[in-house]
Amino acid sequence: MNSRITELYSDADMAGLAGRIRRCKVFCWALALAALAACITMIMLTNTANAPRMEGATVAVSTVAGWVVLYVFLFMQTPARRELAHARMLRQEERERVEGAVAVKEERFTIRKSVAVRRVEVTVGDETQRLLVCDSRSKDLVSARPAVLYVCHGYVAAYEVTA
Amino acid sequence: MRAIKNILSQLHTFVLWLLASAIFWGWIFTFVTDTSVEKKITVYCEVPQMEDRLLAAALEEDMPEGLRMIKVHPFSYVMFDMESIGKGDIFIVPAADREELAEYLAPGEGEKIYDTASGEGAAKTYIQYGNEDYYLYLGSGSVHIEDGKAQAVAQRLLAMP
Repeated sequence: MNSRITELYSDADMAGLAGRIRRCKVFCWALALAALAACITMIMLTNTANAPRMEGATVAVSTVAGWVVLYVFLFMQTPARRELAHARMLRQEERERVEGAVAVKEERFTIRKSVAVRRVEVTVGDETQRLLVCDSRSKDLVSARPAVLYVCHGYVAAYEVTA
Repeated sequence: MRAIKNILSQLHTFVLWLLASAIFWGWIFTFVTDTSVEKKITVYCEVPQMEDRLLAAALEEDMPEGLRMIKVHPFSYVMFDMESIGKGDIFIVPAADREELAEYLAPGEGEKIYDTASGEGAAKTYIQYGNEDYYLYLGSGSVHIEDGKAQAVAQRLLAMP
């Protein structure tokens, strides 16, 4: 029988996450600087007649641009950064081998200041070991139906499929 | 759907940003739209209705040298800050209120700016006068009487259609 170990995070996945973080950073800085430039321009164009209109426009531009930056930072960049840190931990730290019937649970939850995960239960005889897998990788685990998992600090880091 | 859920989970952050943005730019605009008494002429008008910003902008079109801006305020503007009214440069007041406001007005008869009998008056494009005569006075606390800038702006105001 042939068996193959598959990492949950490949080099390409790591590069993809790093690229997403970089793109988010560039986008946030570009938008923030463009909004600041627009606000400064509006201040320069302010006179007695148009002052309230210019103030309203400046507040609107900075508010909307700030909301977009906040959204990208909170819901795109930060999760990607946490996932990359999580992936590095999975690839660098020591692992243990766990063998048994693997079941990935539906329930999804987020570990505070970390990644979104799903529960994985590995049953050997009467004993059930409870593990976690990063939500974005859980589909791979479900479709592969592995019998052997490699675990790092309670998180699934890789799996072994027997052909 | 997920985006809305995300936003709702951090709604306080988004609201806080809106408030911070409004307060910060409001503060910045106080510097942009105001200056020291030495660099501005302030006009206070005790009239029923007026286009204060448009009148100020029209007066700014031909400002005496050394001034940065002209501010026009209705009297209600200083309801809670009677100190600033003491530094007013020009006052437009109804005849009946002249005695009450005497301490802020420079001594003298003042210049009649609106005659209720004929309906003739200055700056009617910007000021809606009430049913009484109105007078223009220089301010008793004005720092622009000696340099003649208050008089120059007053003359311009009196000549406005």
